[in-house]
Amino acid sequence: MIGPNRIGASPLSRASLLAFRVAGYALVAALFLAPLAWVLASSLRRPGPLYQYASPLSWRLFIPDRPTLANFAHALTSLGMDRALRNTAFVAVTTALAGLVVNSMAGFALAALSFPGKNMVFAAVMVAFMAPFDAIVIPLHRAVSSMGLVNSWAALILPAVGNGMAIFLFRQFYHEYPKEILEAARVDGASWLRLFWQVVLPSSGPALAAAAVLIFMHQWNSLFWPLVAAYSEKYTMAQVIVASQIAVDGTRWASLFATSVLSSIPPMMLFFLLQKHYLRGIGGFGGN
Amino acid sequence: MSRPPTPAQPSARLAPIQRQARLRERLHPTHRNLRSELLATAAFLAPALALLAAFRLYPAAVSVAQSLQGGSLQAYRELFADTTFLKSVRVTLAYAAMASPATVAVSLLLALVLQGSGRVRSLVRTACFLPSTVSMSVVAVTWGMILDPHFGLANSVLSAVGLPRQLFLASPVQALQCLAALSVWRNAGYWMMFFLSGMEAVPKSVYEAAQLDGASPLQCAVTITVPLLAPTLGFVLVSNTVVNCLAFAPVFILTRGGPLGSTNVLMYEAYKSAFTYLDMPRSSAISTLVLAAVFALSFLELKLIQAGFGGDRQ
Repeated sequence: MIGPNRIGASPLSRASLLAFRVAGYALVAALFLAPLAWVLASSLRRPGPLYQYASPLSWRLFIPDRPTLANFAHALTSLGMDRALRNTAFVAVTTALAGLVVNSMAGFALAALSFPGKNMVFAAVMVAFMAPFDAIVIPLHRAVSSMGLVNSWAALILPAVGNGMAIFLFRQFYHEYPKEILEAARVDGASWLRLFWQVVLPSSGPALAAAAVLIFMHQWNSLFWPLVAAYSEKYTMAQVIVASQIAVDGTRWASLFATSVLSSIPPMMLFFLLQKHYLRGIGGFGGN
Repeated sequence: MSRPPTPAQPSARLAPIQRQARLRERLHPTHRNLRSELLATAAFLAPALALLAAFRLYPAAVSVAQSLQGGSLQAYRELFADTTFLKSVRVTLAYAAMASPATVAVSLLLALVLQGSGRVRSLVRTACFLPSTVSMSVVAVTWGMILDPHFGLANSVLSAVGLPRQLFLASPVQALQCLAALSVWRNAGYWMMFFLSGMEAVPKSVYEAAQLDGASPLQCAVTITVPLLAPTLGFVLVSNTVVNCLAFAPVFILTRGGPLGSTNVLMYEAYKSAFTYLDMPRSSAISTLVLAAVFALSFLELKLIQAGFGGDRQ
């Protein structure tokens, strides 16, 4: 955005403005990326002191000397990270797919249908949205075990399917949905359910992308709940393996870095893929 | 091949009238149809509500009930006479008061600088978002290394530019500030997306008109973008304050509430009450109070947003 008052500026000052801008972008990117780059570089390093290049500072901190994939091989073959990644992918994808269906339907009802007690239902959704997970872990565990679900896929998946924030997101999105389309379809005799499946859901791309990112990342990064709800080795999740490298008797740094990197790639990939839609999908949050 | 216009069939002439009748029926359902409407609504809502009730609301209700063990307010009375709890309240408020405005300011600033098209800007936006895709344990471990008082990256950088080294997480004064900085680093890119999304809704013509009037980019930002983003600003501030009041994982991994209780936030105190002191009523009472405060705050701020900025609600 260069206003007309700048059109007369000399080429030199324009070049310096550009340089200033590029330097600013680089600084911002570096501030956010440097810590992650350190972890990535450390995961590629051969055994050596943890802070070797951090103090005193050296460029070797970010570019490892003679990089190796041994840490990753160890994590995948000896630490069970291969199975944990498969488990986590299964749990996160299943939760996201089920969550998209369930939460979009509820959000649609709250936005487009009229029924008695709507405000009460919305209030209940908001309470669920804000109830802090850490505060309800113990009663939640008791509830899940009374249903006989402890140590099962259901224990990992079901509690995260209903998501108050996702319902809120869909509600905001469907508030903006053109009423004429709904009315036209209703006049032609389509039931609400058919209308939703055949017309509304296929045109909900941005909201679906935003909710998918939300639910997938929540599940992918969960640590506390898998620890208490599905402790057998068969169900081990990625973050549990990452955290178990941090031990009181000395952290296994090389393994910690390798498992951290492995566990961070899938959510980053998902965000890369859905980035554009995601941005449009969260648009409803400002409108209220 | 052209056909002469045939006289309208009676059914074809009736069709628009039937359509009208059906429309009236759908929009203002009669008694018979009201039931099927309600059934459809129930089908839409039931799965989500059942899941939320079973896995969120019921456990939350159990937690509140536990804090009122035997219908008494004993646990609460003890809490308000307990200096550890009162200090924990102050620590949590101080943390939220530092982290929330800072996160909102940084994310808004990032959005203002990084809005618009262009490959470079899009890459920098992605860089800013990446920390929020990484799990909290990875973030905490990384910042533990950066802030290590002896060998950490932060002190190396300070020494390199000739500034005195700091204690960071080992200092009772700085530890909470460090955790707030960690929270800003992790969340700023996430909330930046909400601001960017809000900015996309501002019509381009508004900016073009302002530029024609000779407004500088800074003037555009201050007089057009930020006021139009007021509802988003409100939402981000509320959500952020809620998230910060519930902070737990970084404290659990990095400081364990110390040094000298300076980072002993309420959710960590609730965790210790449950798992270290095995005092469930105390733990539930703390969680319930945090929950009540979070609700009051959200309700108040959402009301303020509606009143002050008159969003397009309904």
